[in-house]
Formats: sequence, structure tokens, C-alpha cells
Amino acid sequence: MKSSNKYDSSKFIEIFLNNKAIFILILMVLIAQPITRGMFFSYANFSSVARQISTSLMIALGYTVLLGTGSMDLSSGNMVSLLGIVFALCTLRTPLIFAVIITIVCGCMCGFLNGYIAMKFRLAPFILTLATGQIYNGLASLICGGTTVAGLSSNVKFIGQGLIFGVIPISILFALAVALVISILVGRTKYGRHVLATGGNKDAARVSGINTFFIKVSGFVALGLCCALGAIVLTGRVGMAVPSAGDLFTLDSIAAVAIGGTPMHGGKAKVGGTIVGCIIIGIISNILNLCGVSVFLQWIAKGVIIVVAILLDSGSETFFKEQQRKASAV
Amino acid sequence: MTTQELLLDANGITKYFAGVVALNKVQLQLHRGEVLALIGENGAGKSTLMKILLGMYKPDAGSITFKGEPYQAKDPGEALRKGIAMIHQELTLIPTLSVAENIWIGRENNFKSRGLISNVKRLKATKNLLEQLGIEGIDPGEECGRLSIASMQLVEVARACSYDSDVIIMDEPTSAITNKEIETLFTIIRALAKKQKGIIFISHKLDELMEISDNITVFRDGHYIDTNPSKSITTEELVQKMVGRKVENLYPKEEVPISDVIFEAKDLRQIGVFENVNFKVHKGEILGFCGLMGAGRTEIMQAVFGITKLDGGQIFMHGKAIRNKNTMEAIKNGMAMVTEDRLRMGLIHMLSVEFNTSIAYLDKFTPNGVLVDTKKERESFHKMADTLAIKVTGPNQDAGQLSGGNQQKVIFAKWLTGQPDLLILDEPTRGIDVGSKAEIYKLIGKLAAAGKAVIVISSELPEVMGISDRIEVIRHGRIVHECLRKDFDENRLMSYAFGTLS
Repeated sequence: MKSSNKYDSSKFIEIFLNNKAIFILILMVLIAQPITRGMFFSYANFSSVARQISTSLMIALGYTVLLGTGSMDLSSGNMVSLLGIVFALCTLRTPLIFAVIITIVCGCMCGFLNGYIAMKFRLAPFILTLATGQIYNGLASLICGGTTVAGLSSNVKFIGQGLIFGVIPISILFALAVALVISILVGRTKYGRHVLATGGNKDAARVSGINTFFIKVSGFVALGLCCALGAIVLTGRVGMAVPSAGDLFTLDSIAAVAIGGTPMHGGKAKVGGTIVGCIIIGIISNILNLCGVSVFLQWIAKGVIIVVAILLDSGSETFFKEQQRKASAV
Repeated sequence: MTTQELLLDANGITKYFAGVVALNKVQLQLHRGEVLALIGENGAGKSTLMKILLGMYKPDAGSITFKGEPYQAKDPGEALRKGIAMIHQELTLIPTLSVAENIWIGRENNFKSRGLISNVKRLKATKNLLEQLGIEGIDPGEECGRLSIASMQLVEVARACSYDSDVIIMDEPTSAITNKEIETLFTIIRALAKKQKGIIFISHKLDELMEISDNITVFRDGHYIDTNPSKSITTEELVQKMVGRKVENLYPKEEVPISDVIFEAKDLRQIGVFENVNFKVHKGEILGFCGLMGAGRTEIMQAVFGITKLDGGQIFMHGKAIRNKNTMEAIKNGMAMVTEDRLRMGLIHMLSVEFNTSIAYLDKFTPNGVLVDTKKERESFHKMADTLAIKVTGPNQDAGQLSGGNQQKVIFAKWLTGQPDLLILDEPTRGIDVGSKAEIYKLIGKLAAAGKAVIVISSELPEVMGISDRIEVIRHGRIVHECLRKDFDENRLMSYAFGTLS
């Protein structure tokens, strides 16, 4: 094969676009130290970022599976709010382990409802989950009377704030454990293959003997489960539950997954990318915080950065399609 | 026809993609009033040349003269304005717009009256156009999405003609239409040729080409081979030119002992689609299903395989009554199905060939019930790739990047991974070049020899007759005729399919 300059540069672009999350991360870490006037590289800061991203990482992992099946859910933030309240209220009345189990079961139920209704009646998950999200939000306020649930035990707080060996935040270890499980699930199990096949081409998957209805619904359940885990960690970190606690998580976690390279149309699920994506989103907030940027400006900045990230994502897709078209035309 | 004025003259056209030659100094001459057939295997460079004519690609070398002047278009829109129109293989109609809106798309200004577009004028123009072309039974106001595939194809033809272009390129226009529409299409083509237009006709169906074209140009591996008058060349010679070697026998039929019944269908019924369907397939037998498009062949098999639901009747595997509520059960019962629509229901294009090969029988590769044994999976993939001679760069290549023939082989590999007893093959060679076709036929023969029962659905009569031991003719959702290999007769089978014999 003849190798021209043009070909080499396209190869380089391909490598960059395939691993863009890592490149963005390196770039951000490089600029972080000077623009935060030296506050970025410190143990205290890293530990706080780690605790902050545990929740969004767990939710994003749920999205990685759901997007792999080719669906979407916009109610994750509302589920986190509701499940946080459920968890907090339960810890006040039952032992911690029961509270955890109940929260997880509730999370799975919320996800199941979203998935089952959407698939059974062939509704657009976008609209449906916007509506069910509103229901979950209302339920959250209803069961706690619209106020804060405080007075949680130190055990609960330990989940979100505790350190192992006095250095590593336990919450990020939980999140990484979930990441490990999901990465094995997606990459190495029959279920994971079925998820990707369904997301890649639902009709072909069905002909190959896959119960695509079950797989599609299970993606929503996986997100619900991950939202429950995220809500537990979040409640522990904040030390209380508020009905608006989850509001910002939907965007953050979907954006993290997108930056991580998992496409929005299904068929691929990149767990490693999702982790990097979460770190990027976490560091963006962190840098803006350290620089003392106002919260409102932070929202704007984050929105802009996410738009750029998604643009890069679709840019890479167009690029690959172009390459494939040329390859197939030969 | 060579006395006619030269309309389009392409010479020395060369095109590279990422350093690989797709076209190597090819030529093409089209005269006024000529129907030129362009043939070659998939990947021979036909589409690339057409895309250059349309301005979608820029040639790296060579010259094109059109109506006596140097020609180059920068996009299909400009090509159209200059007088080259193309009917694409894939349908390009917008399903939510009406027939009239689709035909005159981009030229709405033609129908302006007092600043607004007059739908009445547009419908009238459409009606005239369709009448002029002799296309019947299409309502100009109908939404295109509601038309049959065949009607949509005719609308595409009408749209291409409506530009009054000098050159009309047709890329496999007959792949999805029935004989009746093919007749209509041929009438249109002859009328266009009479009006001194030039037509380039691309198709894999050689008999059709021989019938409609004046001259036939052959491409192979990006090279121009030659051009011959259709009258003075045989299909065997054409195939040989295309493939570059002699295809000894396109349908190698092995003598296989036919024994026990493997599959039986009794009184199958799906309300409004098919009824009273009874048939048996034996071990080692290839059972062909023919009939017109829309006769219900695909529908019967999809219901048998659990893709759709049966409303009545019974199916048996090895004499035992079974029910396939879904495809999972069908697979468990030892059945496999290569679907007609490779794009939609066959491959998962964005995933690797290895993934596609193992997906239907993952249990085989999960010995402990949890994790997929990727080593075993890889071994099985390589074994399949070798046995079926699948051309891939490696197990991780995306299935969507393969040629049609290789994609089909991947689908075969998927099913053969599981050793099914009954294989249902719905149009197993659609859109595949002649060389790959012969390989697929050979493979089907081998499967029968290995003691499998095979059902083949095909719209191409020579194909079904070439490979089957027995044929069932379907018409209007019923089996109207059954005959054994020794009694195969093309005319009789056709008559049954069309209902002139019953």
C-alpha cells in the first residue's frame, strides 16, 4: 500500500479521536495548576474531587449500559433525588443494610417502570422519562414533606465521607468497584454481548435469538440500580437528603459518557472512557471552583465545554463514516 | 448503433482511495440512443465510475467529454443540471412526502402561481409524466411511504426521467421489482432510447441485460475489460470475463441421499397473509420456494422461525410438535435463518465480524455460565473464516466494511457455529456478485451433504432450479404447485407463480 502524507495525518486524527478523552484530560491537568494558582495539585483537593465524582460516576456507569442498548433516560437526576430521600428516611428507621437494600430495590423499580412502559407501548424514552422524572421528583418532595432529611448516623456519612487507610475516599472505591463489575459485564458476559447486539441492530439481534425486549428494559433497570448506588453515596457525602439533590446529575453523567466515547445510538459501551469522562467533568467544576468563578458562570462554562466535547464526538463519527465509505468504495 | 453521435466519452479514468487503485485507466463510451449495460463483480469499480460522473468523486487522472465538451461536475446537483441523472440502488424517496412532491423536489418553483406553489399544477404534471411513461396504478398524491417497494422504484425512474437528462444511469433498478414492473421499466427504457437519450444500465441479472441492452461493457478489479454488442455474446462468456476465470458450473449439484423428515409444517395460517401451508423437508434435501415478490414466501418462513406469530397450524422437528414463540426457541429447536434483508435483519454493522459470528450461540463459549471464553470464541471464528473463506483483515474488522458476499458468509458463519438441523435461507445471494454466488451455492450443497435440511427462498428461478431437490411454488399465500427436480420446467413454474396455471 502506498503511504502518503495525507494518509498518515488521517491515521493521527483517528488515534486522537479514538482516545480524545485522555488527551482532553491531560490537557486539563496541565493547565489546571497555573490557572488555579497552585491549588490544584494537593491531596486535599484530589480527595475532594474523588468524593464529588463518585456519584456521577456511578450514574454514568448506568448510562453506559443503557446507551449501549440504544436507549435514553432523562430521569436519572430525579431518581437520585427520590432515592436519596428514600435512603435517608430508611436509615432513620431501619438498620443501614436494610436501608441500602430497600433503596436499591426502589431504584430498580423506577428504572423498570421507565423501561417497561417505554418498550411495551413503544414510546419515545426521551418524552416518557421526562414525564416519569417529574413523577419521581414529586414523590421525593411528597414523602419528605418538601424539606431536608437530616440527623443521619455517622455510619451513613462514612459511606460518602470516609477514608480507607486514612487516605483513599471509600466512595470512589465503591464507584470503581461498580465500574469493574460493569466492564466485565459488558465486555465478557453473554448479557453484555446481547446488550451491544441489541443496541447495534435490534432486528438483527432478534433474529439471532436475543430477547431484545428484556435487554432493552434491563438497560433502564441497570440505570435505576446505579442511580440508587449514586444516591446512597451522595446522601452520605452531603450528610443529609434534599428533594433537589439530584438535579444536576443527569447532564453531568450523560456528558461524561459522551466524552468517554460511548455513542448515543447504541452498540458500544466504553467503561474506561466513562471513568475518564467523569474525571474531566469533575475537574472542570473543581478548577472553576478553585478560581472562584460564580456558580452561574460555572453552569455556563460547563455547558459550553460539554457542547465542545459532543461536537468532537460527532466529528469523529463523521470522520469514520468518511473513511469507511472510502474503504468500501475501493 | 455505433453510427450514432457519441454522447459521453470517458477515457483513462483513474481513481485512488488511500493509496489503493479503485479504477485503473478505465474507459466508457455511450452513444445517443444506446442502452449500455455495465457489469462486473462487486468492487469492480462500476459504482466508483458512476460517482465520478455524478461529481461525488474527483478522478485522479483521465478525461470525460460530454456532448462534445470537457465535462466535470462538482456535485450530483450540477451533474443533473448538465444532463446526467442517476437512479440509485437504494431508494432515495422521502417517505412522508407525496409522489408528486418527491418527483419535483427542488423544482417547486416550476409550479408557482401568485407566489405560492400550486399543488394542483404539480399533481397534474405528475399525472402527465406517469402516463407518458406508461406507469400505471400510482396515485400522484399518495404518500411515498405507503407505496410498495416496486412502485417506489418506478417513482424513482419517473423522477430521473422528469429532468429530461441526456444520460440516465440506472444502478440495479430491477433488484426489488417484479416481472410486471420490469416490463414497464423496459418499455420506458426503450422509449428513452428512441428519444436519443443514452442509458447506462447496471445489474447483476445477466438475462435482463441481454434483453434490454445494445452493448455490454465489462469491468473487473478496477480495469476495463471490453465492450461487446449484446447480440454477439453469451452469458457464459460474460461471466468468464467478469470473474476472469471460467466458472465451470454455477450450480454444482451434488447427489445427496435424502432420508428422514426433519421438519414438517401442517396447515400453517396467518390471517390475511398465508393459509393452508403444508410442506416437509428431509435430511440432506434442499427445498426451494419460489413465487412472485409479495406472494408470502418470506412471511411463511418468518412465522416458522418465530419472528412473527402464526395464527394456526403446527410445526414439527424430527416428528415432535414444537412451537416457536420467538427466535430464541426456534434456535433451541435446531433451526437457523438467513434473512432476506441483510442490512436490517442480518448483520450488526458497527460491531466486529467475530462478535457477529458468535452472537447467536454464545452459550457454546460460556463454559462456566458467566464469562465468555474469548480464546475459544477466537478459535471458532478462525475455523469458520477458514472453512467459508471469508475475506477479512482480522477478527476485529467491522462487519459493515465487508463486501456483500463476505457479509453473507459472516451470517452463514454465525449460524454454522451452532450446528442447526434446519437452515432457512431467504434470498441468500441477493446483491452478491457472481463469484461469491457460486461459492454460496457450493456451501449450500455441502450443508445438505452434511445431513442438514435446507429451505431456500429465491426470486431468481434459475437459482432455485439449479440448487433445489424439490420446489414449492407460492402464490397469494398458498402453495399452488410442488415438483421434483426431474420435472423442473421454467415455463411451468412461472405459469404457476403468475397464476396462469393452477
